[in-house]
Amino acid sequence: MRALDYEFPDKLYYSKEHEWVRLEDEEAVVGITDYAQKQLHEIVYVEIQSEDSEVKQGQTMGTVESVKSVSDIFSPVTGKIIKVNSELAESPELLNQDPYGKGWLVKINLSDLKKDMENLLTTAQYAEYIKTMET
Amino acid sequence: MRRTHLYGFHKQNAKMVEFASFEMPIWYKGIIPEHMAVRTRVGIFDITHMGRALITGAKSEAFLNHVITNDVSVLTPLSAQYSVMCNENGGIKDDFVLSKLEPEKFLIVYNAANRQKDYQWLVQQSKAFDVQVEDVSDNVAMFAVQGSKAQQTLQKIAEADLSKIERFKCGWTKLAGVDGFVSRTGYTGEDGFEVFVWNTPLSKSENAVKVWNAILKAGEEFGIEPCGLGARDTLRLEAGMCLYGNDIDETTTPFEAGLSFVVKLKKDSFIGKDALAKQKAEGIKRKRVGLKILEKGPNPRPKQEVWKDNIQKIGYVTSGTFSPLLECGVAMAYVSIEHATEGGTVMVKVRDKPLKAEIVKFPLYDPTKYGYTRQK
Repeated sequence: MRALDYEFPDKLYYSKEHEWVRLEDEEAVVGITDYAQKQLHEIVYVEIQSEDSEVKQGQTMGTVESVKSVSDIFSPVTGKIIKVNSELAESPELLNQDPYGKGWLVKINLSDLKKDMENLLTTAQYAEYIKTMET
Repeated sequence: MRRTHLYGFHKQNAKMVEFASFEMPIWYKGIIPEHMAVRTRVGIFDITHMGRALITGAKSEAFLNHVITNDVSVLTPLSAQYSVMCNENGGIKDDFVLSKLEPEKFLIVYNAANRQKDYQWLVQQSKAFDVQVEDVSDNVAMFAVQGSKAQQTLQKIAEADLSKIERFKCGWTKLAGVDGFVSRTGYTGEDGFEVFVWNTPLSKSENAVKVWNAILKAGEEFGIEPCGLGARDTLRLEAGMCLYGNDIDETTTPFEAGLSFVVKLKKDSFIGKDALAKQKAEGIKRKRVGLKILEKGPNPRPKQEVWKDNIQKIGYVTSGTFSPLLECGVAMAYVSIEHATEGGTVMVKVRDKPLKAEIVKFPLYDPTKYGYTRQK
């Protein structure tokens, strides 16, 4: 769905720290939302923990830099990183160009999805959250 | 929060941020395209938020020579100089451009963040002299038109022949029918002008808006871009120009900052002279240098540590960014004098990761290809 100037695809889950989660069985693909990439603008560097790292929901799993600023990336789920998008090292701008597609960050093997879900938002809930933040 | 005459334009076209209690544009299209517009063509910045004061009176030259470090006596009417003023310890109170308008009338343009501090300092120091210090910040709109196409852009709406105004000279001219003042100065490293629209308080902003729009229209054929504070920062960093509060402040001296060209110790007494003369005799212990990151990775940022060979901390970063022109991380840093050698290799610690960097001279770009020294 569209909210304000942002695109928030259905069937994804969202964190209040502006990451999205696409569930695929025991795994989750994770990225940053359209809102996050538009706020950061002109992303010039992405750094993510290496494959096989254990990550916890709400904890830092990487850093994203725009020309002017440095921001943490928080893991929206708990589990183990099984794949990192290797294209981002050469082309960090993929986060701006295609945040829900080629700009994905990591694939995580989930260890406690039930608990993760307590803190994740649906598309409609996240859109509402962004609207209250913008006003 | 305070606004400028162009607030409506900015709000509609840019992402806004707070800067020195002003609501200002940080970028319109983006820092990178705006930066490149100035480096390769032309850009326009609203810099109305900066502070401006007029110093008038028979003793204005003597007063200014007392309060600033550069030699004001060399200025002829309608010329300008970059300078700093220091405290008694030789620490920099601010950096600014001083223009001589008439034999007994000067205009000083200082940093937005120091508006109150500078004005109060000038007023306080002026008491012993027969001069008036007038804060005209709120009555003047100010734009910077920067880039190799700045003159051609501005000439289309200016009555005066701008080719006659050399670098660091100024002149009065009508701009789009409005009374204006231009100086061939700026803070991007490029050729360009700073444009003043006088007698334009916020409540009467028509003339400011008219000149801004006329410049944008005149620059269309050259690919002009309105530019925000983001590009202003990356441009000045590439050019090696200091940002007050980051690279210089009251704890750094002009010698440490590499600004010895604005300190004239041959002058009679001026504020900070004794401390500066002493430092010059003893030699500086640290120096501002340029850094270029040699590997792909994160970008250097203020406060990060600079190390030599991973064993010795030799300084810290004061400004750092991704350079849109060089497409790598670049920084300004203070390092201990024994390591401040061009061509030397150091490490910048970015989140525990040591990044290899080279000490390079300013400007960081090739001055034969970019900047006001470029070969046409």
